[in-house]
Amino acid sequence: MFCRTADLLHAALPLRPFRDWLIRSHMEGCPRCQARLLSREEARGLLVAPDRAGDARGLWPRIAAERERSGRVPETPRAAGAAWRAVAVSALALVIAVTGLWVLRETETPAAAAPDRFEISYVNVGGAPAQTFVYQPQGSDSVFVWAQKTP
Amino acid sequence: MNEQETIDGCLAGDPLSQRAMVEAYGDLVLSVALNVIGNRQDAEDVCQETFLQVFRRLARYDRARSFKTWLLTIAYRRSLDMLRKKRRFKAFSERARFEPAVAGRGGNPHPAAPEPLPSALLKKLSPRERAALTLWANEGLTAKDISAVLACSASTARVFLFNARRKIKALLENAHVLQNG
Repeated sequence: MFCRTADLLHAALPLRPFRDWLIRSHMEGCPRCQARLLSREEARGLLVAPDRAGDARGLWPRIAAERERSGRVPETPRAAGAAWRAVAVSALALVIAVTGLWVLRETETPAAAAPDRFEISYVNVGGAPAQTFVYQPQGSDSVFVWAQKTP
Repeated sequence: MNEQETIDGCLAGDPLSQRAMVEAYGDLVLSVALNVIGNRQDAEDVCQETFLQVFRRLARYDRARSFKTWLLTIAYRRSLDMLRKKRRFKAFSERARFEPAVAGRGGNPHPAAPEPLPSALLKKLSPRERAALTLWANEGLTAKDISAVLACSASTARVFLFNARRKIKALLENAHVLQNG
C-alpha cells in the first residue's frame, strides 16, 4: 500500500478499528510514514519533564495534613466473600430502611412535615471558604449545591 | 532507603517512608498530571490524591508488577477523574448561567481561567493520547507498559501514541510553513 493511499484512507474512514488496522499494517512499518512522526526529542521539548515539573517535595506537608485528617490506617485487602457479605448487609439495611420509612409515613401527621425551605450558611473545602453555587431548576423542587476550592 | 524498604515502611504506616515515597516519585506524578491536565493547581491536587490513594491501597499492590507502572496508573486515573469533574462543572455552570440560580455565597463567584497547557499544541490531543505521549517521551515506556497504565491493549496504546506523534508533527510542520511562508 502506498503512503498516500494510506493517508487518504486514514482521513476518509474515521472508524477506530479500521484506523488501528491501517496503522498496524502499513504505517508502523513504513520508513516514510515513520519519518513524519514526532521524535522523542521533539516531544520532550513540548512536554513538562519531571525535573521541570516543580518541587513536588513541597506537596508533602499537604499530603501529610490530609493523611492525618483521613486516618493513618491503610486499607487491607478484602478477604474472599467479604464483598458478598457487604452486599447482604447492604440489602438487609435497605429492607429495614424501606420498612421504617413506610411505617413512619403511615403514622406521620401533616403538621410534622418539614418546611419548604433550603438554607446553607457556608461551605468549607480544605479548611477554607469554597466557591458555592446553589442551583434550583425552574419548576423543580430539586436543589443542587456545587462547591469547589477557591482558587 | 530502596524501593522495597520504602513500600514496606508505607505499609506499616511510617511517615518517614511515606515522605520518602513522595520525594522519590512526586516529580514524576506531578509531570504526568501536568501534561495530561495542563493546569498546575489541578495537577497538584491530583498528585496529592494519588499519593493518598497509594498509601490507602498499597496492600493491594502486586509486587510482581512494576511499582512505577502501578503508581502511574493511579495518577493517570485521578487525572482523568479531574478532567471529568472539570467538564461536568463547566457544563453545569453554563446551564446555571441561563437558568438563574439562587445567589451563591463565599469565595470568588468567577473561577479563575485555567492555565494554558505546557504547549498549546497538546490541546489538540485527547487525554489518552497526551498520557501515551508523556509516558513514551519522558519515561521511555514501551507500548506494553503504556497499555498497563491506560488499561487498554498494547496495540491500542500503539495507536494512541502513533496518532499523538502524527498529529503534533503535522501541526508543527503547518506552523513552520506559516512562519516561513
